[in-house]
Amino acid sequence: MMTLPPLEVLRPGSVAEAVEALRAHPGARVLAGGTDLVPNLKYGMYDTRHLVALRGLSKELRYVREEGGLRLGALCTIDQLAENDLLKARTPALAEACGQIAGPQLRRMGTLGGNLCLDTRCVYINQSYFWRSALGFCLKKDGTLCHVVAGGKRCVAAASNDTAPALLALDAGVRLVSPRGERVVPLREFYLPDGLHNTVLQPDELLVEVRIPPAAFGKKQAFMKLRTRAAIDFPALNLAVALETEGAVVKSISLAVGALAARPVLIKGIDDLVGRPADARFAEELGRRAQKQCRPLTNISVDPDWRRDLLPVLVRRLVLRALA
Amino acid sequence: MSVGDRFPKIDGVAKADGSGIYADDISFPRMLHAKLLRSPHAHARIRGIDVSEALKLPGVIAALTGDELPLKYGVIPWTQDEQALATEKVRFVGDEVACIAALDERTAEDALKLIRVEYEVLPAVLSPEEALAHPEIKVNEKAKVGNITKHVNLQFGDVDRAVAGAAAIAHETYAYAGSTHAPIEPHCAVARVDADGNLTIWSSTQIPHYLHRELSRVLGLSPAKVRVIQPLLGGAFGGKSDPFSLEFCVAKLALKTGRPVKILFTREEVFYAHRGRHPMKMDVTVALESDGRIAAVDNKILIDGGAYASFGMITAYYAGQLLTGPYRFGTYRFDSYRMYTNKPPCGPKRGHGSVQPRFAFEVALDEAAEKLGLDPIEVRRRNFIGEEVDTVNGQRITSNGFLKCLDLVEQASGWRERRGKLGPGRGLGVAGSMYISGTAYPVYPNEMPQSGVLVKLDRSGRVAIFSGASDIGQGINTLLCQIAAQELGCDPRHVTVVAADTDLTPVDLGAYSSRVTFMVGLAAQEACEKLAAKLQAAGGATFAEACQKAEAIEGAPLAASGGYRTQKLGGGYRGGTIGASPAYSFTAHVAEVSVDEETGIWKVERIWAAHDCGKALNPTLVEGQIEGSVYMGAAEAQMEEMVYNEKGLLFGPSLLDYRIPTSMDTPDLQAMIVESNDPNGPYGAKEAGEGPLHAAIPAIANALYDACGIRIRELPFYPQRVLKLLRERGRKEEERVA
Amino acid sequence: MQLLHLFVNGEEHAVAAPGQRTLLEALRYDLMLTGSKQGCDKGDCGACTVLVRPRGDSGFRGEPILACITLAADAQDLEITTIEGLAGPLGLDPIQRAFADCGALQCGFCQPGMMLSARALLDKCDKPTLPQIQEALSGNLCRCTGYTKIYEAVEVAAGLRTPSSRAPVQSERAAASDSKAQTVTEIVP
Repeated sequence: MMTLPPLEVLRPGSVAEAVEALRAHPGARVLAGGTDLVPNLKYGMYDTRHLVALRGLSKELRYVREEGGLRLGALCTIDQLAENDLLKARTPALAEACGQIAGPQLRRMGTLGGNLCLDTRCVYINQSYFWRSALGFCLKKDGTLCHVVAGGKRCVAAASNDTAPALLALDAGVRLVSPRGERVVPLREFYLPDGLHNTVLQPDELLVEVRIPPAAFGKKQAFMKLRTRAAIDFPALNLAVALETEGAVVKSISLAVGALAARPVLIKGIDDLVGRPADARFAEELGRRAQKQCRPLTNISVDPDWRRDLLPVLVRRLVLRALA
Repeated sequence: MSVGDRFPKIDGVAKADGSGIYADDISFPRMLHAKLLRSPHAHARIRGIDVSEALKLPGVIAALTGDELPLKYGVIPWTQDEQALATEKVRFVGDEVACIAALDERTAEDALKLIRVEYEVLPAVLSPEEALAHPEIKVNEKAKVGNITKHVNLQFGDVDRAVAGAAAIAHETYAYAGSTHAPIEPHCAVARVDADGNLTIWSSTQIPHYLHRELSRVLGLSPAKVRVIQPLLGGAFGGKSDPFSLEFCVAKLALKTGRPVKILFTREEVFYAHRGRHPMKMDVTVALESDGRIAAVDNKILIDGGAYASFGMITAYYAGQLLTGPYRFGTYRFDSYRMYTNKPPCGPKRGHGSVQPRFAFEVALDEAAEKLGLDPIEVRRRNFIGEEVDTVNGQRITSNGFLKCLDLVEQASGWRERRGKLGPGRGLGVAGSMYISGTAYPVYPNEMPQSGVLVKLDRSGRVAIFSGASDIGQGINTLLCQIAAQELGCDPRHVTVVAADTDLTPVDLGAYSSRVTFMVGLAAQEACEKLAAKLQAAGGATFAEACQKAEAIEGAPLAASGGYRTQKLGGGYRGGTIGASPAYSFTAHVAEVSVDEETGIWKVERIWAAHDCGKALNPTLVEGQIEGSVYMGAAEAQMEEMVYNEKGLLFGPSLLDYRIPTSMDTPDLQAMIVESNDPNGPYGAKEAGEGPLHAAIPAIANALYDACGIRIRELPFYPQRVLKLLRERGRKEEERVA
Repeated sequence: MQLLHLFVNGEEHAVAAPGQRTLLEALRYDLMLTGSKQGCDKGDCGACTVLVRPRGDSGFRGEPILACITLAADAQDLEITTIEGLAGPLGLDPIQRAFADCGALQCGFCQPGMMLSARALLDKCDKPTLPQIQEALSGNLCRCTGYTKIYEAVEVAAGLRTPSSRAPVQSERAAASDSKAQTVTEIVP
């Protein structure tokens, strides 16, 4: 068997204790569902000796509440959200995204907070120590070279979380707690273009809640995931759209694409499309714009040229599905 | 419940309630866990290995290096080129270099990092073309010429003349990607030595007998002091039919330390052990006469073998020898090279050697038939080779139910009403194939039986069958019970099977080449017949009473043995026995696909698979073999490929990255059994475990053509490849219009 | 090392283990419950699937999770059912019986996890459709069966059908074609 390295597991009973534990043990990793952290630990991807396990917080942080908008506790499990009737009615894009993550067992174990904070992934990093040593390592861990971008100095490992594009499109925010207090960060400011650490989370900060504004509820929305295998697969591309229409006319657009580089991309410069008829031509145009802003890389094993070719098609279909 | 019945598997309950014991479920007091150090280089000379620091780590008990097990081994006696641990050179990323035994796995793993190996990195060859072009870079010293494991070039009749006179010709090149078995159980071996120096190995092997021979030879122990036991096996598909490093290492470490030792491969290590499907490049010509009959087939095959021979010598033959049915070939030629390259060794994956050329041929046949305006099923019917007939390369076909297979898939798929009429993006395709039921070629030449079965009757009415065969999930142990019930009239639930234990059971050569049901079945039938005669002579109202009477007459316990004796078969030319089988199975598939022409994403909706297995000794088990084969073939068409980087490092050695289909990716599978009642098989039976894989891939390719007019000639049929072909088709149409 | 209290198959066990002990290691190595298999060790294959429910819950056995990526210490507040605990005092669970009867067990290695996923499905939905079965089993990889007989077994266990009984089809004797073995030339390079 692949074994875990020696670990000391801290088990806080409250959020305050959790962030205090993080502060007291620099480099400690947060263990929620463990579906990504545990394999990565077995692969020797982290040098940490400490885990802060959140199991004791699951009662506190496992809620779906309608308070103006939606408030989702970070320890909601993925399957809980996929099957939640409120989500299906209010934010179907998020429910769909959750339903397409991995397989049934992993959805049962994995959490919303864990998915949003999922470490970036790359064909050159999510492998054993032996494999990475044979590769000559890479700049995400133990090495200095990027194997995706020749001469690259910044890690471009891919944001591979399916909930991120959905929540970006819905203009969600996240509540972060640290020993210094708490802050609410819009998700569009949460992610950073750095594969080593692609969020604004401080080492002693914990994502405790996702907030979806009430404006999201009325939006026409959809999520789509491109993957090789129909289950147990990370995205080769994932996309979410949220649209407001007035009559037959587009009033607002929000389109997000993941599985590119370290940061999920919120498509910009599309405000001029507001006011256009919400039709197939609009969907086509949005697809063309999105393609220009998305650059699939070899960090994911599925052919990047094909993924790029597919982008306008997928966006068009996504938008038409949302409008339908 | 006897032969032909759907008797539930005798190990079904043990597998259902979790009590079944697989290799990794075995443990002993004081057992050590060992781990293997592997090469990070594709090709390098070893200048030195220093294990001293590793030995100092608390909890480390012993270290092993190649100089302690220097003898080379390999499943084929003529190409023994592997070492348990490399001594002079490493030949692929993942090649084994040293081994550490410790109190627990983590300690052994940590100790590996303390071993110092000094390598002189050598240039590596990573493709068969490079291997041919650079004979000076010698991957494996076993190759007599350059990097060639084996070259076979055989011609049957005058191919060039037949091609020149043909009415329609298809000539194209095809590429088949490498794939691996991916059994869900990783390889595992446990060794224990008793105080008298008797060594016992429990291993997830499908060749206990060959392993026994090789262990005894490499360890320098009398075979009488080595015992190999195969516990339940968690999937094999050919991936466990070589002796592997871990088996030698646990044995040697057990001898060195006097303690039981276990090695369990990680999933990543299973990928390095490999022995999977050989990548092949094939340049195929199929020439038809004006009536659609096959005038000639010509195939140039370049095979990427990886770093060691494994069964590669046979692969080079099978790639050509197994193509000559179910159709009559006027003339035939093949020219195949199996090359050494610096990658994990390829070997026998389900449908060994013949899946790749079958794909190329069946697609080319459709292409040539189209030029004559012939329906794909019709051209296959017209070329049916028949029964009791010799193939162009001198193989004897006995029974042949291929026509019935074609009829069944034609009807079930609604071929006549539906093909070409399903609308854009949806289509049907057909393909046929044949496969061996064992081979007339024991891996090491000898005059002894290939299979032996011993049957003992007890006065209680209990029957014990001792069989050396490996039940790898296909259900041979269950079939043995059914055969005993058939012959002796006993209750099959009163039969105990003692299997695959070299101390207790007669030799069987192993679970490969689809030989087990045929050969072990005949051996069992022979043994049971001898006992049945005695029981009949004795009389008795019940089976137990007959046993008692017969034992009284015998004056000794009742037992009998049976064997399968290798027949002299095959062409009288060099290599003519390779591919010669006492009986051939036949298969026809129709696949239905749907294609999203805008993205290239496609789906196999359904596969109808009709397979002539001679006689279904247990229809449930036969259906399972058909379904499992078709699934695995469709998987190779859909998504499976071993991909390496420029240094020979395998991408994604995990079940996340190397994607095998989930339930949601697997097409609807309709298995149909055809019985041709072979004159030589046990009760008429032939193989069912490998043949039905072949036709799935070309049937899918041909269905893609029907769906959207593209000929895909490279595996896997990735959506980006389909999309590229669709665009080429679009451009050609535009040019025509212009 | 710490003392872990694991509640498995209706019995409480105390196990001394380091913090990084996984539930699969605890089951296989400490409790000798070797029915839970390890096939990938990192949550990809489903062979280590066990059912869990909060301690004190009654009724169904719970939901499938993967033991290989669960810390044993995190399972202390759960009631765990492994394949060894699926059978009851009256014998095999109908799922186990159907898997054995329908030929759903070939090598059998993935099947403990598969059967537990199937049990969880039938507990939630006693008459599942084929797509529901496919979805529920999509986290358990099988390499032998092509899943077909597994679906059949689940449907048999749910009382939706009887085991397959399609009879083999006989082929008629066929004549030999005019094929004959040809003169061989071995072309020596």
